[in-house]
Amino acid sequence: MAVSTPVLGIVVLIYLMVIFYLGWLGYKKTQQTEDYMVAGRKMNPYILAVSYGATFISTSAIVGFGGAAGALGMGLLWLSFMTIFVGVFMAFVVFGKRTRRIGLKLGAVTFPELLGRRYQSRFIQGFSGILIGLFMPLYAGIVLIGGARFVETTLNINYDVAVLILTVIVAAYVITGGIIAVMYTDALQGALMFLGMALLLTLTYVKLGGVVEAHQALTNMAYLVPESLQAGGHLGWTAMPELGSPIWWNLVSTLILGVGIGVLAQPQLAVRFMTVKDDKALNRAVLVGGPFILMMTGVAFTVGALSNVYFFDKLGVISVVAAGGNTDLIIPQYINSAMPDIFVVLFMLTLLAAAMSTLSAQFHTMGTAIGHDFYREFLKKGELGQTINITRMSIAVTILVSVVLAYILPISIIATATAVFFGLCASSFLPMYTGALFWKRMTRKGAIASMLVGAFTSLFWLIFVHAKEASALGISKALFGVDTILTGTWTIIDPIIVATPLAFLTAVIVSLMTEPDSQEHIDRCFMTSTVNN
Amino acid sequence: MLGIDDPQIWLAYVLCFLSALGCIIYGALKWNDGEEEEGC
Repeated sequence: MAVSTPVLGIVVLIYLMVIFYLGWLGYKKTQQTEDYMVAGRKMNPYILAVSYGATFISTSAIVGFGGAAGALGMGLLWLSFMTIFVGVFMAFVVFGKRTRRIGLKLGAVTFPELLGRRYQSRFIQGFSGILIGLFMPLYAGIVLIGGARFVETTLNINYDVAVLILTVIVAAYVITGGIIAVMYTDALQGALMFLGMALLLTLTYVKLGGVVEAHQALTNMAYLVPESLQAGGHLGWTAMPELGSPIWWNLVSTLILGVGIGVLAQPQLAVRFMTVKDDKALNRAVLVGGPFILMMTGVAFTVGALSNVYFFDKLGVISVVAAGGNTDLIIPQYINSAMPDIFVVLFMLTLLAAAMSTLSAQFHTMGTAIGHDFYREFLKKGELGQTINITRMSIAVTILVSVVLAYILPISIIATATAVFFGLCASSFLPMYTGALFWKRMTRKGAIASMLVGAFTSLFWLIFVHAKEASALGISKALFGVDTILTGTWTIIDPIIVATPLAFLTAVIVSLMTEPDSQEHIDRCFMTSTVNN
Repeated sequence: MLGIDDPQIWLAYVLCFLSALGCIIYGALKWNDGEEEEGC
């Protein structure tokens, strides 16, 4: 670490003081349940855009996926394109506007509640809530690991203590200030991330002699691809892997499609569309959101790939070798050795901000999923009472589970856990969410069937077929004596590719076979939704 | 193009910028569209 710990400590301290101030502002502005859940539906569009982006992009997206680009190359830029086109444009313009309108008409304050009320089913709301409550801690746990590892290495604090400090700080403002505090702090964190990434890109291109020169140098390095990666289909860092090869399937099905499509059905992101007053806010947010995400994923993946040029010039080895075989260390290693000291401080803050902004949204979503969707709406049949307190308690409990996971999960789980959660959300929620917004003929039974088929197919595929998780979990081995029950290409195809189309098909078939929902209810959901745009 | 030989890669690179630009243009053109009359 080139920068002295006291300097970094002071910078982090100032940062935390501002975060606490914003958390306090959120607390002051939270008076009703609706404030705590959806910011009273009057959030500023710029804050929405940056909060959405900062929540979407975690430390693992920058460091983990940026490192993956260091190993796999610029093919990951397709994911970057997906995150902008699908993750921002489609999400805000196509899904966001209807989510906001229908959410408002039905008085929904969470993503599961939107689905539950659209289909008039407490089961849908409760099951979605419990699915989020059970699996999101896995995702939160790995973001916590990423953030805590940062605190550990830069501030020289013990890892276990770092996990606790990070958790207590984020939990404090999420529990007290609700989503207003979450989004205000996200906005600050997002601004820091934008600045950090913009500088990272500029300095990288300057260091490598220009845009075209840097790319050309990377293209010329194709002969350096290690044999093991060549055998998997790797054709160089500025070329797509060989069509149909294991690396191609991993890149396209897990990374590009898994995350690129999974983003549409992320509960912690979708709920943000319900925090603004009108479509105008969503239109304006698109203007900010597109460039913001370009600056996050586009920069991380480009710089990750280009780090090969730097390490080869400097040390005569490619990035993976320079990072000792651990792709998660490529980006930190590159920053530490190639960037000026002052930038190292800024970038460390960028990473801390990225971790905290994602964590805060996860804590809030997990808490509301259990406290509001599962407990209040499903178990207590909507009975009013101590909703906010129960939600706060649920946040505390799910945080505790995330912390426990952060202690027990192995480090290599980071990328896998992210993909697992995104994939599970896509297959369980996307067909029913799409139908809720765009297909009046979709019925409650169709929605329930698609949700169950999506969730269980996805889990089945993870446990018994997809080699990466199936062999790590060992359940297939214990039951059937084999790592995976299918062989060949099947074992490298991501669950999302199988489970999501199956869930869509189920939704259509079951809906058409069952009685349509009452016209009165459909009118209530859709009546004004076709007036403008 | 841009020092990248594989069209599948430079296309992705260019599309990233174009899609972000598309977001800016969309937001600018629709800057005042979609205002809700009734408060909530």
